[in-house]
Amino acid sequence: MMDIDWQIAEAKRAEAALLDALFVAEFYTGKNSALDTFSQLAAIAAETSHIGLINTIATVYNEPYHIARFIASLDHLSKGRAGWNFVTGAGSAAHQFSRDGHPSHADRYAQGDEAVDIIKRLWDSWEDGAILPVPERNLYVNQDRIHQINHTGQFYSVRGPLNLARPPQGHPVILQSGSSETGKEMAAKHGEAVYTAQQTLAAAKEFYIDLKGRLPKYGRSREDLLILPGLAPLVADTEKEALELEHELNRYVDTRKALNALSERFEVNLNDYDLDDPVPIDRAISEDTIDGIRSRHEAVLNPARRGTVTIRQLLYRSNAGHGHISLAGTPLQIADFIEEWFTSDACDGFNLLPQVAPGSTHGFFDKVIPELQNRGLFRTAYEGTTLRESFGLKRPQNRNSPRGAGSVGAAAAASSDSATSRYANANL
Amino acid sequence: MSRHNSTSRKLKLIAFLGWTGHHAGSWRHPSSNPNAGLDIDHHIAEAQEAERALFDAVFIADGDGWKSGTKLEPFTQLSAVAVHTSHIGLINTVGTVYNDPYSLARYFASLDLISGGRAGWNVVTGAHSAAEQFTRGGHPSHADRYEAANEFVEVVKQLWASWDEGAFVADKQRGILIDPARVNEINFRGRHYQVRGPLDLPPSPQGHTVIVQAGSSEPGKELAARTAELVFTAQQTLPAAQEFYRDLKGRLARYGRSRDDLFITPGFAPLIGETEAEARDLEHELNSYVDTRRALDLLSERFTVNLNDYPIDGPVPLDKAKSADDFDNVKSRQDVVLDPARREGFTIRQLLYRANGGHGHVTHTGTPLQIADFIDKWFNSNAVDGFVIEPPLLPQQFRLFVDKVIPELQNRGLFRTAYEGTTLRRNLGLRGTLPLAKAA
Repeated sequence: MMDIDWQIAEAKRAEAALLDALFVAEFYTGKNSALDTFSQLAAIAAETSHIGLINTIATVYNEPYHIARFIASLDHLSKGRAGWNFVTGAGSAAHQFSRDGHPSHADRYAQGDEAVDIIKRLWDSWEDGAILPVPERNLYVNQDRIHQINHTGQFYSVRGPLNLARPPQGHPVILQSGSSETGKEMAAKHGEAVYTAQQTLAAAKEFYIDLKGRLPKYGRSREDLLILPGLAPLVADTEKEALELEHELNRYVDTRKALNALSERFEVNLNDYDLDDPVPIDRAISEDTIDGIRSRHEAVLNPARRGTVTIRQLLYRSNAGHGHISLAGTPLQIADFIEEWFTSDACDGFNLLPQVAPGSTHGFFDKVIPELQNRGLFRTAYEGTTLRESFGLKRPQNRNSPRGAGSVGAAAAASSDSATSRYANANL
Repeated sequence: MSRHNSTSRKLKLIAFLGWTGHHAGSWRHPSSNPNAGLDIDHHIAEAQEAERALFDAVFIADGDGWKSGTKLEPFTQLSAVAVHTSHIGLINTVGTVYNDPYSLARYFASLDLISGGRAGWNVVTGAHSAAEQFTRGGHPSHADRYEAANEFVEVVKQLWASWDEGAFVADKQRGILIDPARVNEINFRGRHYQVRGPLDLPPSPQGHTVIVQAGSSEPGKELAARTAELVFTAQQTLPAAQEFYRDLKGRLARYGRSRDDLFITPGFAPLIGETEAEARDLEHELNSYVDTRRALDLLSERFTVNLNDYPIDGPVPLDKAKSADDFDNVKSRQDVVLDPARREGFTIRQLLYRANGGHGHVTHTGTPLQIADFIDKWFNSNAVDGFVIEPPLLPQQFRLFVDKVIPELQNRGLFRTAYEGTTLRRNLGLRGTLPLAKAA
């Protein structure tokens, strides 16, 4: 996780496989060990040319001005490949930031909503074409095209302008990951792609219809937001090999520690039960009393609710996908699964979570991607060089520019043949 | 000039690059590219050139300013540069007031790991104008800023030290990725910051990021004596530089540190020509690109009057100058700008040209030999340990420095002919991690 050369090599493989983007998460807890995601993605940007670079940044512990600047800089540096996965932040981080406690779920989202709005306005504070420069007239920038935002809200006051020109994509692509009720409203309002945990086709369809249906409320159309559930595939040449590998990986996990983590969700100690007992679903606390990551709680528990799942089965599933779908199988089986979901109005693509890196991603790249291409489900060449072009998202108009003006260097809205191209992300 | 053998003390040289150059008129010169600020390929190429010339480090300043919107954010820029270089240090300026110690410790630890131990943090407190971007009622006073900065640096250093050696185990057999017994909470509870720790990153090959300090006010010097390993400063004359050098090195003993634990490198903007006449012509040309009226408006902030109301070839109205105490922001720069005018009886035009060329740093115009003589003299007069080179025009003037001045400095035995190692700490000749005042 800390070897940048390894990460660059993996990013190049993902780019060779034509994936839309790389996605990185951020924790701040001290329990993990990972490079700061901006420095990591900036280093990768310098060594790649087409693949998108999506960073997860929490609004609770970062100033909107800093977030806007870091992501804009990554967008300039990568020539239009940056994305921001908006999250509010984990409670365990409060101790690192001179805070007494973590704000409540409702406050976090109200604050996050205001932060996203500020960040988008900061990205618009320099109009396209504000940097001239005209040496003969001693004019470096056009001051008339640089605007203060003068924001004063409930949580923030920010004058602007940003100290960085408008990003090449206008706004770097905004992703949203929370799937609670508040999270869905945030996604409908701000999100351009949604990373979600859906365990069944039925649940995914319901989520898809629900979320896409909320878009008109914010003057947006169905194409303005992509839904990408997490998928942790384990690919092998035969089904037997895939299942053996799955079994081997589960053996490496310290069962007691993993059960402790799962127990936190239940508020009941699963170590007190036999591993092959059914999950004590009646003892699980309900979503309403959760102040943490609400939607993930449901994603973990729902499979247990659906049928008789043993604690061991729940544990293994949770090891592999930590709440996302895990799937062991042959390349054809994995491709069948993806095709079924994709053609059933259940998703616009997937966020891939390799269970073993690099092994499982390489199997996916080498065997599953060609199969998806043969079926006309995945691109055979990048549509352009920006993440917006790969995702087929429009470049946003600058609120400070007259309509139709100021599209200097704009990435044209991709009119790609939507029948053949859909999207997958890799999670490094 | 003096001759040295290869084991003698060597110059520390830092390249303060950018894209058009440090002279205020540089962006209008036909040879510069004013669009290069947002172009990462340009920054990578410049750093690679500095590395070929064996500079200790490249340095990026940060903050507001008329060009600010046209340059990349420094952490992202330096991370990209890191993977295209292998030996040169990467020094970034970050203010304490509008950042958080935990995030900042992570950013540097990460840059340090990506670069294999080449990161440096230039500690500043922060510019006044930033308050309005960060939901603050106002900017803290000079004294408060420095008090909080001392605590901030302490937290950052403790976070960097929160992983003992060998904490990252990655033992597949025993199923241990990180040994929790070797990762320690810091439980820092100060007046300004409360941070539990630990950091989520192990130390880099250089232990921890090199600490650089750039304020030269009284509290700035104390902060430097206590924490800094490299000091950037503006010194306009040899006597002033000698006085600063003696003063700051003299403060180190108080903190249990030796003279070799801290190096002093003032900014220096050399303007080089193959001949002296060529150098003067270029200086004249660059000055002609600066809008005199606007530049004098800016310079007038240091006076109680507007210099545009005075004859430009008349004397500087020194009796109308503000005192350094009138400035709550970058206090030390006031004396630096005005002292040469006081001493040498500058006209307003001379003061302006000096400000155009080095914005407060010492400038020297001449041939490569004359520039080498200047460096040699300061270096051997107990005035400096090296310089932060600020080329007035890019890329042309940096190339001249690299091709003509560096070999001359090497011939005189003043500068390395190969890197000593691959970390910034090793190349600067700094010892390992500073002992920490551990919280109980």
